[in-house]
Amino acid sequence: MKFIIKILKDFPAYLWSGWGSIASIFLFIALWDMGNQLYGDLVLPSPLETFNTLWMMLHDEEVLYEINITLYRAAMGFGLSLLLGSVLGLLAGFFATASMMSRPIVTILVGMPPIAWIVLAMIWFGMGDDTVIFTVVVASFPIIFVGALQGTRTLDGDLNEMAKSFNLPWHMKFVDIYFPHIFSYIFPSWVSGLGMAWKIVVMAELLATSDGIGASLAVARSQLDTPTALALVVIMIGSLMFIEYIILEPLKREVELWRS
Amino acid sequence: MSQEEKLRATNHYLYYPDEKNIQPHFAYGFRPLFLVLAPYMVISMLLWGLIFSGGITVPFIGDTLTWHIYEMLFGLLTAGLLAFLSTGLPELFPGLVPLVGKELKNITILWLLGRLSFWTMGWTGVYLAAILNLAMLAWIIWFARHAVLDKLQRHASLGYTAVAIFLIETWFFSAQAGLVETPPMDILKVALGAIVVLILLALRRVNMEAINELMEDEDIDDVFISRPPKTNLALFAVIIFTIVEFFYPTSSALGWLGFAVSAGIIGITGEYILKDEKILHLAYVRYLASVYVLFAIGYALMGWDLLNPDIYGLNHFRHFITTGGIGLSYLVVMLIISTVHTGRHLVASWKTHLMVLLIITATFMRGLIPFFEEYTSALYIASTIAWTLPFIIYIKLYFEFLLRPRADGIKG
Repeated sequence: MKFIIKILKDFPAYLWSGWGSIASIFLFIALWDMGNQLYGDLVLPSPLETFNTLWMMLHDEEVLYEINITLYRAAMGFGLSLLLGSVLGLLAGFFATASMMSRPIVTILVGMPPIAWIVLAMIWFGMGDDTVIFTVVVASFPIIFVGALQGTRTLDGDLNEMAKSFNLPWHMKFVDIYFPHIFSYIFPSWVSGLGMAWKIVVMAELLATSDGIGASLAVARSQLDTPTALALVVIMIGSLMFIEYIILEPLKREVELWRS
Repeated sequence: MSQEEKLRATNHYLYYPDEKNIQPHFAYGFRPLFLVLAPYMVISMLLWGLIFSGGITVPFIGDTLTWHIYEMLFGLLTAGLLAFLSTGLPELFPGLVPLVGKELKNITILWLLGRLSFWTMGWTGVYLAAILNLAMLAWIIWFARHAVLDKLQRHASLGYTAVAIFLIETWFFSAQAGLVETPPMDILKVALGAIVVLILLALRRVNMEAINELMEDEDIDDVFISRPPKTNLALFAVIIFTIVEFFYPTSSALGWLGFAVSAGIIGITGEYILKDEKILHLAYVRYLASVYVLFAIGYALMGWDLLNPDIYGLNHFRHFITTGGIGLSYLVVMLIISTVHTGRHLVASWKTHLMVLLIITATFMRGLIPFFEEYTSALYIASTIAWTLPFIIYIKLYFEFLLRPRADGIKG
């Protein structure tokens, strides 16, 4: 409880520190606007037109339905990889043999291009939710797995010994020694896993389904509707930024305070 | 006076010149300059009011509005800048001998001659005004050369910006004399960008000095450090905005840049949130923060205008930067320097609140004219009065500080 109150208390100051990021986003949008002036509306619609399209889309029931579908798939896929990756990674980290064994397998998983997974998944599961969710899991699981594995592998032996000699109860050992260390490894991997899930879900939808943001993107492409395509991209980036900077980052700051 | 207080007072400089019989009003750089600047602000605003309402006619070469903007930017800037540098540099570079006495008197006279040549330009010609005004700025740059030549380059940015402003002023006079083709109004917009850069650079230093002094007075056990990155991001955005505005004044990209500048400048206020202690309740911190807020509102409104075809208020909104940000920064810096450097503690009162509020009110009245067009002339008059009043109050309250020796008895 104390932890949550602290996060909420620091939240306004944290939000206020975001002005610099907002400034650089606007600088980027200005660059985008110049691109529009150089190459014309068809190649790169102006930011203003894109945001207007986005505004209209967000008032359209059908588009909201597509967004919900994509969110569901991304959340399912990411949730599964979070669970599997964290649990298996932590376990593998505790046993030297297991971590030695899992290394090459992870390399295979990471090395395989997601597009190849999509093709396989389409053959295995057909066109639908399962294909997308599977691809998301396959792509973000290894990232989280490696993070968790590193977290347990690098636990400080000296601290452990100290805890033993002071006869610390198991919950204190967990909360004060293991958790902060492991979390500082596993949390960034969750963030990158989430980013990966967000990108893969659109790609998989574009190729393997007839609904969701990815499918809408495919339709926009076939109709040369660049404003809609960009508006969809803005939705994806906007939601990712919201989750990463508004929800995850404040958590991370509080948890990693011990480092400084 | 305790030993510690004495030590703090002498922190402002290492050596004091040996000159005999220095009168109190020439005892330190800011004194005579503020003594002439504050009345000049009041008198010139009165004159401009009369000129624009048709009450009097002063023959200028070409467009009166252009010269009005010139004077409000460059005329005031040279006095303000010299006051700031001659007070601040001996502190930033211990070993630099403060500017006092005869030399200070001469440079103040040069500034006054510059003003005279400006108002009599119709008879004396643009070249005399150009020479006197450029000479003043050139002298300031020469005085501040230590900042540029400093090996560590800690405050070199101030010097480089001053040089840039000198070049822009030369460009402006060349355009007025018909030597170059650039429209003078476009050059003034570039000048405004450069002056905003200079003020942001100067405020970073004023913030550090004033806020740490305040925290010491209030027994707040923390240090306020204004690190460069936040200011630099804002500066970068301002510079890009100024360049793009010169070449593509109606581009929609400029609109987004306006928002970028706004966010960058408001981001600087994040420095007031310290890790352990709170300082946002201190009045002077709020005054200083208001400068950034006014700048930010100005750039955001300009951005909004450029992206919205139904709004025609660009030059009105620009007054949030000029009347607002620049005006308030002059006032707050004058208040801080006149208090701290005459050996007094920085204490806010309802009078200082009133002065700051008047400038802010004047800014909103002037800047939001496009939304209340039916009251245009009333708003012009009201904002002029509201903007001038704080400087009249300043004359009433602070001139005795400037005309008497330091309260703590040390020289300067």
